[in-house]
Amino acid sequence: MTVEDEIEIMGQRLNDRINKIFGRSLHIREVDAGSCNACEVEVTALSNPVYDIERFGLHIVASPRHADMLLVTGPVTRNMELALLKTYNAVPSPKLVAAMGSCACNGGIFGDTYASGGGVDRFIPVDVYIPGCPPRPGAVIFGIMVALDKLEQKIRKKEVRA
Amino acid sequence: MFEIIRKTLRTGSQTINYPQEPDEAPPGFRGKPELFQSRCTCCGECVSVCPPSVIWLKEENGEKTLTISYCGCIFCGRCEEVCPHGAIKLTQEYELASKTKDDLLARIGWRS
Repeated sequence: MTVEDEIEIMGQRLNDRINKIFGRSLHIREVDAGSCNACEVEVTALSNPVYDIERFGLHIVASPRHADMLLVTGPVTRNMELALLKTYNAVPSPKLVAAMGSCACNGGIFGDTYASGGGVDRFIPVDVYIPGCPPRPGAVIFGIMVALDKLEQKIRKKEVRA
Repeated sequence: MFEIIRKTLRTGSQTINYPQEPDEAPPGFRGKPELFQSRCTCCGECVSVCPPSVIWLKEENGEKTLTISYCGCIFCGRCEEVCPHGAIKLTQEYELASKTKDDLLARIGWRS
């Protein structure tokens, strides 16, 4: 067997694994939990011709019931707290949560005050933190790649338990 | 309509091949702040100016530790501006995503 054949087999195995884990695509629901809108602009830039996340099979969807992943921005304000919890409960398992932006990571510039929750991880479990104010679209793609590794681990844990 | 088609064909594909090839941030981009152990004197200037208070100084048994958490950092560059010794520099690096908050901490120690 030549080196090329081995590489081809390895590539095939990797493809099979990706297909098995998330059916070739990941659907993302973006939740604005009180952000300043800078992160939303970057999320919009993800689907423009330059970054084009649809080429990886990543789609931004309109309902949490269609989603595999929540992309939360903002420090979770008092008014958005319940809405965030409801959205989280509406996402079918196995689900991923990505905290996008410094506010979502630990409050950022808004900090921990009366109206600001001070980070998404105080309300729902977070799988990946994407710092940046706002993060570049490239940083968000990188964060999603980091998160996908996690999804694989979660599924494996379930298989071991079963 | 003919004009639009001609323009589209002339423009071609603009998509960058990001995860396979690195996407360099433009000059002047404020990314990950880096600490330099050799230059820092632990004066605490950066601690007092940091707007989201993600830089902190801890003193234990005569050993000072300066810690910065990238988680919550707004990349304003104030720490770089006020540092009298140039011990903190903002780099072009932006791929900071991590699964735990502990991975986003950077520390330097200083013994008096």
